[in-house]
Formats: sequence, structure tokens, C-alpha cells
Amino acid sequence: MTSSPVKAQAAGTDGRAAMKQFTRALGAAIVILVVWRVTTVGLAEGYPASFWISQALNGLVLGGVYALVALGYTLVYGILFMINFAHGEVMMIGGITGFFALQFAQARGWMEGPWPVVVVALLLIMFIGMAASVLIGVTLERLAYRPLRQAPRLVPLISAIGASLFLQYSVLLIFGVSPHSYRKPALISGGLRLGDVFIPYTGAIIFVISILLMLALYFIIQRTKLGRAMRAVAEDRSTASLMGVDVNAVIVVTFMLGSALAGAAGVMLGFHNTVVKFNSGFIPGLKAFTAAVLGGIGNIPGAMFGALILGLIEAIGPSALGIPTEYKDVIAFTLLVLILIFRPTGLFGEVLSEKRA
Amino acid sequence: MPKKFTVLSLFLVAALMLAACVAAPPVAEAPAEEAPMEEASADMSGKVVIASGGMIRIGGSFALTGPIPDPGLNIRHGAELAIDDLNAMGGLEGFMFELVAEDGACDGTQGTNVGNKFAADETIVAVTGGTCSGETFGLMPILQEARIPFVSPSATNPDVTSADCDVCNRVALSDALQGATDAAFVVSDLGISSVAVVHDNSDYGKGLAEIFQNNVMEMGGEVTSFEGVQVGDTDFRAMLAKVGADGPQFIFFGGYSTEAGLIAQQMTETPGLEDTAFMSVDGAYTQQYLEAAGGAAEGTYVSFVAGADSEEMNEDFDAKYMEKYGVSPDDLGPFHSQSYDSVKLIAAAIAAVASVDDNGNLVIDREELISAIRSVDAFEGLTGTIKCDSMGECGAGGVQIYQVMDGDFSQVSGFGME
Repeated sequence: MTSSPVKAQAAGTDGRAAMKQFTRALGAAIVILVVWRVTTVGLAEGYPASFWISQALNGLVLGGVYALVALGYTLVYGILFMINFAHGEVMMIGGITGFFALQFAQARGWMEGPWPVVVVALLLIMFIGMAASVLIGVTLERLAYRPLRQAPRLVPLISAIGASLFLQYSVLLIFGVSPHSYRKPALISGGLRLGDVFIPYTGAIIFVISILLMLALYFIIQRTKLGRAMRAVAEDRSTASLMGVDVNAVIVVTFMLGSALAGAAGVMLGFHNTVVKFNSGFIPGLKAFTAAVLGGIGNIPGAMFGALILGLIEAIGPSALGIPTEYKDVIAFTLLVLILIFRPTGLFGEVLSEKRA
Repeated sequence: MPKKFTVLSLFLVAALMLAACVAAPPVAEAPAEEAPMEEASADMSGKVVIASGGMIRIGGSFALTGPIPDPGLNIRHGAELAIDDLNAMGGLEGFMFELVAEDGACDGTQGTNVGNKFAADETIVAVTGGTCSGETFGLMPILQEARIPFVSPSATNPDVTSADCDVCNRVALSDALQGATDAAFVVSDLGISSVAVVHDNSDYGKGLAEIFQNNVMEMGGEVTSFEGVQVGDTDFRAMLAKVGADGPQFIFFGGYSTEAGLIAQQMTETPGLEDTAFMSVDGAYTQQYLEAAGGAAEGTYVSFVAGADSEEMNEDFDAKYMEKYGVSPDDLGPFHSQSYDSVKLIAAAIAAVASVDDNGNLVIDREELISAIRSVDAFEGLTGTIKCDSMGECGAGGVQIYQVMDGDFSQVSGFGME
């Protein structure tokens, strides 16, 4: 009580330094533990190289899907400093819409046609899924987030959780509780076999398309006028507004871009895993959020690499650590906690928000 | 700023998961602690008294949401048809039966919620359900304390009935039997020596997988791996790659339709497992399994705990089912006959103990009803002649093994084939 403010401050710095030392020691201990476990248990299993390659490929496919969804989190966070927790549901809506579009196409026999017809039909299905996601994403922004833009930061987040549950149970009521099964057309069934490694066509397509979409997004943000406006709003909303940037329009476009990517992910995941239902966006949504935090939320390349790293860790982790694969989610979310403790700005830094801090 | 974000994110992830857990069951909850006590004080005599013109209310816990909504609905339909038939025959002493259907969601937590709801409602005489074993484990202790007997049409985990639980009964056969029969089929009939066992971490799936595993090992077979997945997972490639690395001849999956179908499908994409045979269990004996597996279903095996069908009664049932719901009973799920029998069995036990008092009320003593279910003997149901033993095992019939041929299940072994 009687100590001077100067002393108190000194004690505070001491405490912080001690805390820093403690987290460092803890971090080192965890790293040693993981390395020890991998070398003594995981590698001792004696899996062939083809096994690790297969798992890494599984991880890259997962990572591609997470990346598309994670970009939506990161784009919105970069501009509004809020986590759009309904983003996983935006992806699910894309998957469900894609299912019905596929049914429509199949009823007309387009999926049995010559390969250019099938390719065009598949692309159309993906665009329809993306369009549905964009519609939902923009509606969410208008109804659930824009009225709360001036409210304290926690309020839109709570609104987002409400929106997430609302979307899930609306889909449950409208389309039923049973899972919908995508019927893969023959063109993309099966896969490539290289020795003991099997690459499903759908997996390869997911990886390629997600990379293309990410490049397109990067181009839009770095090279176009629209992208410049987005970066300006992310940096300082009121100054950008003074410079003649239509902030509301930029925010809407941001939601559109993020939702379109999520919709594409939803449709492609539908073709890959062949089942969608009302809650199939929830866990991928949380994983993508983890990926965004891993890469540094608000950081676009960070989200891409964070997602690929998360996918790889999830696929390889259980075998490498010699634990049952059912713990893959535990590994992913433990990673989230560890990142938040040791590097809250993510592996690649929280680029946009740092300017705010 | 970063620190704030840390705390905020952790809080949010926790809140979101909590929200998902709490919000998933869309049914109102009853307070957990108060319900049974309220019941006891309001009903000191341990009797249900139904005033003239009132209904005999039977609770039903059905898996209407969760992993197997179609079989859950199918089971509900079976129970509704039983109630219709009971009432068409004049009910009991002029009192009509009523089904109070709740969503047990194939989940222990939701089973507890449904149990509390029934326990708090002193008009509930007995319960049919739950659909899944885990859900039934949620119901069990609450109904035991509230002295409400239940008969499950489809919970097959061996621990659903036990010496400690006098209200627990079922008309389905125990997985102790299914697991042993499946193991004998795989090891002796198919001559397979190495199997991988996978389960979905549900009480039902994991329990059955363990029984199968133990039986295979007792018979001298080798279990190359024992892996778990989660109900609701859709990507099993990482798990299958790990299982495939040990090169098993056979994969056995304890769990439900969608996961079973996806595993069968993704096996064809896993090096080392392309030609490995696959078998699942009664939770996957559905159209949903065929749908989810697609072409990969062909040649896979599924076992089912079947009743001893009496042709004539079943034809009548199927016709009524078609008329009321517009689909064939087998389209949605396999346990409709058990569900019908479960309700009829409860009604028969009620008829044995109910009496009309001087004021024209129907009086049912709860303790008498509990023992009346156990003393049911030679009850003719859709699944055969039902006789309950002292543990509450009322199932008739045996285990059947099917193989998918030309997109449909055809029986290859087991009950009814000898």
C-alpha cells in the first residue's frame, strides 16, 4: 500500500520478466517432450516412407480447405477486428447448396456426358455454392454485424455465435437432419496411384483450386484498386473514409470475398468427403479459425501457411507422436492454446492489427 | 492488444464449444436435481392414478437428431403404430394410450435431459427407448430413481441391463451375442486371421468393437490395430492410412451408418486396403449406409440383431406403416418391429397390474409394473415370442449377417438360415 508507484512498476517489470522466463522454460520443455516422443515412439514404429508421404498429402488437402476458410476469418478480422464465428456455417451453406446443384445436374444426365460437359457442370456447381455462401455472408454482415459496428468488441462476437447456431438449425429444419450424400461423377472418382501412394482426384483438385483461389485473392488485394481500398480501411477506417473510400462497400466486398472462398471450400469438401449436413461446418470452422490464429490473424499469407501447417500436423501428428488418430482434434486445439500462450500474434505476426495496437 | 486478443480468443473458443454442447439438443430441459424429489413427494404412494377420461402416458426417447435420425424416426413410427393398434382395440378398461415422444438425440447428455423430463412428469407410466446405448445410459439412473420402468427397442450394449437396475429392460439382443457371432463368422466362416478394429467412440460402437476384439483374440485371430474415430467425422483417410500400414485382411467397424459408409468408401482410396473386406454392425444396417458408401458398399458385411419374424403379423404391420407414413418400414431403419413390440410389451405389463378404483380412476402401482415387465412370458410380438428374464433381457431371435449384393442387403449367415 505504501510503496511508491516507481517501486510498484519495478516489481511489475520483475514479475513480467519472471513470467517470460517461465513461459520460455515451459515452451522448451514442451518442444523437448514432443521431439522425444516422435523419435522414441513415432519413428520407432518403422512406417515406410510412402506412409508418411500419404499422410502429408492428406494433410495438404485438409490444409487447402482450412486455408480457404481461414482466409475469411482473417480478411474480416483485418478490417473489422471481429471474429466471424458464423463463417464455418457460411461454408456449410455452400456445401449444402452444391449438393442440390449436383442433384439437379445429375437428374439431367450432365454428369454422364462427355468430359467437357462434366467439367463445366462441376465448375457451375462450385459457382452456385459460392454464390449461396456470398449471399449468406453479405446478409450476415448487414443484419448481424453492421448494426453492432459501434458496440463494444464482444457484442458482435456474441452476435456471430448466435448467427452460427441460427444458420445450423435453420438448415436442420429446412433440409432435415439426415446427411446428404454427394454422388461423385465418374470423372473425379478414384485417383492416381504412384507406387504405394494414392492421390484421390478430388484431393488433388482441392489443393490446386485452393492455391489458385488464394493467388487470385492475393492479386486482388495487392494489385487492384479495390484491394488498395481494403488495405486502406484495414489500416485506418476513418482516414480511409476521409480519403474518399466507401468504407461500407469495402466491408461488404470483404465479406463477399471471404464467403466465396468458404463456399468453394464447402462444395469441394462435399465432393471429397461426400457427406454434408447441418453441422458439418462447425468443426472445420473452428479448425480454420485455429489456422488463422496460427498464421497470425489478420495476416493473409499467414492464414494460408497456418492452414497448411495445421493440416499437416493434424494428418501426421497422431502417427508421429504414436497416439491414436482420434486425438487429431486434440492436437489441433492444443496447438491453438500453445500458440495463444507463446506467440499470440501467430507464426507470421498479426500484420494488420499491429498498426492498431 | 495481443494479450487482450489471447484472453478473448480463449474465452470465445470455450464459449462456442459450450454453446454447441448446450444448444445441440433443441428440447427444453428439466432441472436435474429437483425432478426426482418432486416426483417422490407428489406421489408418495408410488402409484399412478389416471382420472376417468385421462390417458395412459408412455414416454418415448427416440434418436430424432444426432447420428442416426432416420432409424430414430423409424423407431418412433413403430411406437406410434403400436399405440394406434392398442387404442383401436379399445385401450385398457376404456383408457386410451398416449405416446409422449422426446428427442434423445442418440446422446448421453440428451438422454439425461429426457430422463429428467419424464421423471418430473408424474403421469408418465413407463418409457420406450432410448434408441442408442449412450442415450439409454443417460436415461437409466434417472428412471431408476424415479421408479419408471423402460424397455429399449434398440440399445444393444451389454451394460444396458444389469443386476443393479430393476427398471432396465430391452427387446433388442445384447451386443455380447452380436460381437461373438460376428467374430465367429469372420474367423471361422471367412477364415480370416488378421483384423483391424475401428470404433466411433460411442458407448454402443466402442462397446461392440471391444467385444468383437476379445472374441477374435480368444479364437486365435490377430487384431492388428484398435482405432477410434468420432461420430460426425467425415475424413477417415489419416486413420485408414495408419490401419492400412499393418496390412490387415479385414476391418471391423463398431458404429453408425454414415461413418461406416464413409470408411467403406475411403478404404478403396487407401493403399493396402483396396481389397480388404469390411464389416459393420446393426447401427449401420440401414439405407443410409448404402447411400453413404455408394459403390464401395458392394461385398461388405453388416450384422443385425433380428427378431424371429412372424410373417402374417409383419405383413399387417408393413401395410399399416405404408398407409400411415407413405414409405416402406425398411427404408428408414431396421428396428421398427422391436419398437412396436416394446410398446406392446409395456402395455401388456400395464394391463396385468392396472385396476379401476371406486371413483373410476385407473390405478397403476409403479413397483408392481416394474416386476410385471420382468414376468412377461410368451408374449407374441412382431419379433417372435417374447419372454423377459430376471435381468430384463426380453429379446427374441438371433444375430444375422448380411452381405451387400447388387446394392442391397442379402443374408449370408446366422439366425434363420440354419
